[in-house]
Amino acid sequence: MTRPLVELIDIEKHFGGIRAVDRVSLDLWPGEVVGVLGHNGAGKSCLMRILSGAMTPSAGEIRVNGSPASFSSPNDARAAGIETIYQTLALADHLDAAANLFLGRELKTRFGNLDDARMLAEARTVLARLNPNFKNLRDPVSSLSGGQRQVIAIARAIYFDTKILIMDEPTAALGPSETAMVADLIRQLRDEGIGIFLVSHDMHDVFELCDRVVVMNKGRLVGAHAIHEVSKDDVLSLIVKGELPADWSARNLMAEAAQ
Amino acid sequence: MTLASRPAAMSARRSRAAAFQFLPDAAKLHRLSALATLFLLILGFALASPAFFSVNNGLTILLQTSVIGLLGIGMTMVIITGGIDLSVGSVLALSGVASGMAIKAGVPVGPGMAFGVAVGAACGALNGLIVTRMRIPPFVATLGMMLMARGLALQLTGAAPISQLGEAFGRLGNGALFRIVEMRPNGFPKVIFPGIPYPAIVLLIVAIAAAYLLRRRQIGRHIYATGSNEEAARLSGVRTDRAKLYAYAMSGALAGLAGIVLMSRLVTAQPSEGVMYELDAIAAAVIGGASLSGGVGTVPGTMIGAFIIGILRNGLNMAGVSAFIQQIVIGAVVIAAVWIDHIRNRP
Repeated sequence: MTRPLVELIDIEKHFGGIRAVDRVSLDLWPGEVVGVLGHNGAGKSCLMRILSGAMTPSAGEIRVNGSPASFSSPNDARAAGIETIYQTLALADHLDAAANLFLGRELKTRFGNLDDARMLAEARTVLARLNPNFKNLRDPVSSLSGGQRQVIAIARAIYFDTKILIMDEPTAALGPSETAMVADLIRQLRDEGIGIFLVSHDMHDVFELCDRVVVMNKGRLVGAHAIHEVSKDDVLSLIVKGELPADWSARNLMAEAAQ
Repeated sequence: MTLASRPAAMSARRSRAAAFQFLPDAAKLHRLSALATLFLLILGFALASPAFFSVNNGLTILLQTSVIGLLGIGMTMVIITGGIDLSVGSVLALSGVASGMAIKAGVPVGPGMAFGVAVGAACGALNGLIVTRMRIPPFVATLGMMLMARGLALQLTGAAPISQLGEAFGRLGNGALFRIVEMRPNGFPKVIFPGIPYPAIVLLIVAIAAAYLLRRRQIGRHIYATGSNEEAARLSGVRTDRAKLYAYAMSGALAGLAGIVLMSRLVTAQPSEGVMYELDAIAAAVIGGASLSGGVGTVPGTMIGAFIIGILRNGLNMAGVSAFIQQIVIGAVVIAAVWIDHIRNRP
């Protein structure tokens, strides 16, 4: 592949006088996992919401496969193959798993009626792939466990023809085994050529899964590094101070020099 | 868990799931209790007054309930989105007046009635636009519409009823399907079979259509999703503003239809008709299991609720209870229904 899946160029977002996102440029290549880090309020959620169509940028350009795109609603971004797993999961509590999985993209019969039977069957297939113990598909999702709810949110993002996946704290509500399942899934999707933005606070996850990290601080992009260039301390310094330690040099180069 | 214990645990889970199938879930339980209440009311009133349990009184209840039911169905849609429509009583009056004036101006009865329904739909759509575009809370937006629609109806008519609308105008409200009338030798007609009143048929058709819309169509699914979690629905690509607009417009149109049915029954367009009907409609929806916090509600439930309200009013009338006491009773019933809703939603 010669061309990034998506490019964000000089994206800005202002709220009144506050610059939540300040001239951020970022790209994502096929089969790449990019960790997006930063304090709460550093602008990373804002940037991801712009990419997922939930928010419109004040300035800047988004390119998908090299051609300019503008997303005025989440549907536009989804049409371009960008799916998002929100930290809040964005589930309608009173609806069942299948209804949530297909929310906004319901399958219909020839007469335009909802095809609940087919949606249930499809949901059963895709959910079984993620969690074989998922049986109570007809229950409203408010009665399901945190892990099951997370599985529905993930299933919804990968069921459709996804090229770019944004995961906002996908493991925050999960236990150890479910976290491992999500990690496996991320690797599997990466191998299928999907590009993933992983928003996370968990340094361990980031170093385990990501090929590259970008760090935001006060709305600006303060660092973008291949994962083997930096240590956890370097990344923490970027998050907290907005700059690398004064005596920093690329970790992998240092290792080579030491040899 | 060891391998040996796994099948046992699974079969235990399966048998527990089977046991739960005999026990209806919370929504069904609520509807069953509402049905039980309905039967208790009928039983109680039948014992209190022999005239209550007669064909003629049954027809009266059916007629009264058809208006509450039509309003209640629209109200249910709005309540499912998490909103409320306080304007239905006034919109009912404005629609009836608009229809009456159109017919007085020479429009044939059919198109004149359709015009009334369209006026109701327009009022509802305006409600929806105020709620979605101007971001005014539904309570305030529809309270404003309640005053505006009532004021307009009174202003247009000078607060005087429009009468002499012709026999054709009264047919929808007073006619019945399969009515058998025999002329007796003395020249007076004798009703052998009173038939099924048209308002009841209208209610049945609207109820089936609305239930179909909510359960089987995409817009219905989106109405539920909007009320369940608006932000989630929006992020999932549901056009929540459209779902709300649709619900308010439907509520307005059904208020218009209820107005036409009511005015047709009176064969007069009354600008002061329908005061406080919104409360009956809200009560019907809530008694039927709709939740004021949104995301929950069904048409069959609301139908049961409408019949409870209709029978309560009628039965109290038949038992000679004063109108003032009736207000107290219905007020208490509404509070009780909302209270039960709160208990139900407590985790």
